[in-house]
Amino acid sequence: MRLLLVEDDRNLNRQIAAALADAGYAVDKAFDGQEGQFLGETEPYDAVILDLGLPAIDGVSILTNWRRDGRKMPVLILTARDRWSDKVQGFDAGADDYLAKPFHMEELLARIRALLRRATGHATSELVSGSVRLDTRSGRVSVDGTPIKLTSHEYRLLSYLMHHSGRIVSRGELTEHLYDQDFDRDSNTIEVFVGRLRKKLGVELIQTVRGLGYLVEAGSPQAA
Amino acid sequence: MRVLAGRSVAVRLAASAVFWSCGILLVAGIILTTLYRQATERSFDERLLVYANDLAADLVAANETDQRAVGGLGDPRFNIPLSGWYWQVARLGTPLRDANASRSLLGNTMPALADPAPGARFGEIRKDYAAGPEDRLVRMIERDIDLGEDGRVIVRVAGPADEISAAQSRFAVALLVTFTLLGAALGLSTLFQIRFGLKPLAGLRAAVGDVRRGRADRIEGRYPGDIAPLADELNLLLDANSEILERARTQVGNLAHALKTPLSVIVNEADHSDDDLSIRVREQADIMRDQVEYYLNRARAAALAGTLGSATEVRPVLEALVRTFEKIYRDRGLAIEDVPADGLRFRGERQDLEEMVGNLVDNACKWANARVRVGAALERAGDRLVLCVTVDDDGPGVPEGRRAEAVRRGRRLDETKPGSGLGLSIVSDLAGIYGGDLSLGAAPLGGARASLRLPGDGPAGRDAAPRVAT
Repeated sequence: MRLLLVEDDRNLNRQIAAALADAGYAVDKAFDGQEGQFLGETEPYDAVILDLGLPAIDGVSILTNWRRDGRKMPVLILTARDRWSDKVQGFDAGADDYLAKPFHMEELLARIRALLRRATGHATSELVSGSVRLDTRSGRVSVDGTPIKLTSHEYRLLSYLMHHSGRIVSRGELTEHLYDQDFDRDSNTIEVFVGRLRKKLGVELIQTVRGLGYLVEAGSPQAA
Repeated sequence: MRVLAGRSVAVRLAASAVFWSCGILLVAGIILTTLYRQATERSFDERLLVYANDLAADLVAANETDQRAVGGLGDPRFNIPLSGWYWQVARLGTPLRDANASRSLLGNTMPALADPAPGARFGEIRKDYAAGPEDRLVRMIERDIDLGEDGRVIVRVAGPADEISAAQSRFAVALLVTFTLLGAALGLSTLFQIRFGLKPLAGLRAAVGDVRRGRADRIEGRYPGDIAPLADELNLLLDANSEILERARTQVGNLAHALKTPLSVIVNEADHSDDDLSIRVREQADIMRDQVEYYLNRARAAALAGTLGSATEVRPVLEALVRTFEKIYRDRGLAIEDVPADGLRFRGERQDLEEMVGNLVDNACKWANARVRVGAALERAGDRLVLCVTVDDDGPGVPEGRRAEAVRRGRRLDETKPGSGLGLSIVSDLAGIYGGDLSLGAAPLGGARASLRLPGDGPAGRDAAPRVAT
C-alpha cells in the first residue's frame, strides 16, 4: 500500500513517515502544498495524510482540487485546527477522516488501516482468503493458524493483493503501489517477491493470470 | 432647555417650534390689536372733528345773526335722547347750563375734559374718553374757538365709546380665529418638517439596528450630506471591528498550529519507550494538550466578546454537522437525524454555533446505541427570542444528580470514552458568553438530552411564532 504524507513540519513528517514505513506502507513525503498537490495528481496513492496549514497551497484547496479532478483516494486530514467548523469544511471538501493534533501514532495508524479497508470494501481489520489470514492491525500473517514470518516487501505485496482480492492486479499496478517514488523500480522484482511469497505460504493463494497479472480469490472474511 | 435634555430630537424640535410660534403669534396679536384700536379711535375722532368743525362754522355764522340758531348738524342721532351722540357749545367762563347743546343730552351737561396742559396752544383739539350722561362712556373731542369780539367758546362733540369697543371686539375675534388657524397650519407643517427632516436619521437607526441584530453587515443606503459621514464612520468602525476579530481568530489558529504540532512530535517521541522519562513526558504532554485546548478556547471566546451581532441560519449548520458526523461515525451505523428548522436564526457567529452543536452531537454519538437526533425551535422569553437546540441520544443517559456536574469545566463523567473532557464545558462557556446556557436532561429516545438555549431570531427579520421543541 502506497501512501502520500503532506506535512510541512519536518520533525513530524519524519516521525509519521517512519511509523508508516514500520507498519508496512510505502510512503511518499511532501513538505508543502504545491508538491503535495502535484504528487496527489500524478501518482496512484491508496491513501493520503494531509495537513491543512501548509505553505504555498492550503490543505482544503488541495483536497478540493483533487476531488474536482476526480481523484478518489481516501484522505485523512491531520491538523491542529480542531474546531467543528474546520472539520465540517474538511469533510465537505471531500475528506474521509479527520485527526486533530496532538495525536498518538497508534490512532493515526488505526485510522489509516480503517480508511484502506473501507476503500477496498472490507468490513474488518482481518483479511481472509482460503486458509491465509492477514491481520492489518498487528501485521501478522498465518496459514491454517500457523504464523508466517514475512519481510516488509513481502508483507506489502500480500497485503495489497489481499486488500484487492477478487480482482486481477497487474504488475505495473503492484509496482506503483508497493514502492515509494524514490525506489528504483523494476517490475522483475515483483516476480521475485511473488515467488518467495508462494514458497513461504505454501498454499495456492496467488494465481498468475497470463498477460494480465495476479489474482487472489476473495475469501469469506471473519470477524476480527 | 434643560428639561429637554435627553429627549428625542423630534420632541426638542417640536417643543422649540411650539414655543417660538406661540410667542410670535402672541406678540403679533398684541401689536395688531393696538394698531387697530388706534386706527379705529383716529377715524372716530375724525368724524367727531368734522361735526365739531361744522358746529364751529355754524357758530361763526350764527354769531352774526342769532346765537340760538346754532346746532343743526343734520345727523338725527343728535336728536335721539341719550343716543350717546352729543354736542355742546359753551361760552368760556359762563355756566354750562347756558350752553347750547344737542337735544339728545336731554338737559344734561357734558363733562369737561382735563384742563389743557400748560403751554398748549389755544384752539388745540383735545380728545379723550369721558363719562357721559347716565355714566355711559363716550369718546369726546373738545375745541376752543375764538369768536373775536364775541369772546371765546368751547365746542364739545361726543359719540358712544361702545362703537369703538364693538369694532375692536369684532376685530379681536377675527384675529383669534385667523391666528388659531395659522397656528394649526404652522404646527402641521412643523410636524411634517420634523418627520421629513428626521427621516434619514430614522433610516440610519434602523440600519444600525439591522447590523446589531446581524441582518446586515454594513450600514446600507444613501444618506444626506450631513449624516452621510456618520454612516461612513460607522461602516469604518464595523470594518475595523471585524478586521480585529478576524486577526484575533487567525492568531489563535496560528497559535494552535504552532503549539500542537511540536506537541505531537513530543508525544510521538515519548510513545516509543516506556521508561520513566517517557512516561513523565507523556503525562505532562497530556496536561499541556488540555491546557492549550482550554486557553485556546478562552482566547477564541475573548475574541468573540464585544463583537457586533451577526446572525446564522441554523438549518445549514445542522445539516453540515449531520453530514460530517455520518462520515465520522459511519462504521458504527448510527442514524443521525436533524429535525428541519427552516428560517430559524442564531444571533451569533456560525463557527460558534458549529462548535457548540458539534461538541454536543459528538458527545451524543459517543454514547448512542443507534440513534442521535438534533432539533431546533424558537421560544419567546419575555421580549426576547430564544433558540433552543436539543441533541438527544439513545445511550445510557446521565443520572439526574450528575447532570450539573457534567457541564462544568474539564469534567468527564466516564473516562472510558475518548475525549479530553472539555467538550461540554466548552459548550457551556461559549453559551454563557452569548448569554445562553447548557443543561442536561432525559431524551424521549431513552438516553441523554443536551439542551442549548441561545439568543435566536425568526425568519429574516420577522419574529417567528414560537414553536414547540421536538
